[in-house]
Amino acid sequence: MLKKGDIILLGIAVIIIAASFIGVSLYKGSGSNTGRIAVIKQDDKVVERIDLDSISEPREIKISGEYDEVIVAEKGRIRFEEADCPDKVCVKTGWLSKKGDMAVCLPNRTMIKIEGQSKDVDIVTY
Amino acid sequence: MNRTKRIVLLALLVSQALILSIIESWIPVPVPVPGVKLGLANIITLIVIIFFGFKEALAVVLVRCVLSSVFGGGLTFFLFSIAGGILSTIVMTVLYKVRPNLFSIVGISIAGAIAHNIGQIAIAALVMKDLAVAAILPVLLISGCIMGFFVGLASSFLENALRRAKIFDA
Repeated sequence: MLKKGDIILLGIAVIIIAASFIGVSLYKGSGSNTGRIAVIKQDDKVVERIDLDSISEPREIKISGEYDEVIVAEKGRIRFEEADCPDKVCVKTGWLSKKGDMAVCLPNRTMIKIEGQSKDVDIVTY
Repeated sequence: MNRTKRIVLLALLVSQALILSIIESWIPVPVPVPGVKLGLANIITLIVIIFFGFKEALAVVLVRCVLSSVFGGGLTFFLFSIAGGILSTIVMTVLYKVRPNLFSIVGISIAGAIAHNIGQIAIAALVMKDLAVAAILPVLLISGCIMGFFVGLASSFLENALRRAKIFDA
């Protein structure tokens, strides 16, 4: 059933998968791991930035658009709580807590991603 | 094959692809990653590439994407399926035509699945204007390879059956 050209295809597939793994792990590993900022974006606009380490009370963020969604953020984690989109992939993704974690609702073009603390210097003391 | 028979057969294949993509949407996928799916409609794309050619395959894919978006999905869904569909049709046709018998149908199907996933992510990155969506690529690619394997297997059984049935002859 398999032919000799398939080995080439298999090799290319393995290279592409390995490259994607390396790329993603580099992306997740870059920057500091302290300070997790949850960024909620709809289309290409940032709707809300939430510092997951300093938030104390759980918060609800409502997103409207083609579909309506409820995002819940609490200390150290954030998730899509409810959505009325057809596939509900975003809700099934569950809690996001680590840097690089991401939940996407493609039908509504909404995403939550967790970024590390930006490298900008906040305070300089002498 | 005369024009009428061609049109009838291609129309039948479009409707079969459409049914497969509807049935597929009823089957829950255990991985909560957007874009992970079985890709059953790819069986039909492969069959059209084998028995007809690139133009026909592209036409079947385009019509199937338009119709399945109408039946449920909407514009965003349409953009993703069309980008993945066009890219995978191109890749699979090139592999099938470039050197006959160099690649098996299973291999071509896996390559098509990978192309489909990359096309989808490219559109997702464009729509969201954020390259971070590429983070789901590893999961998508691995599931694509697994599904691509089984879709390829199904297609090559179907190819043999169709050759025996001589449906596409003259």
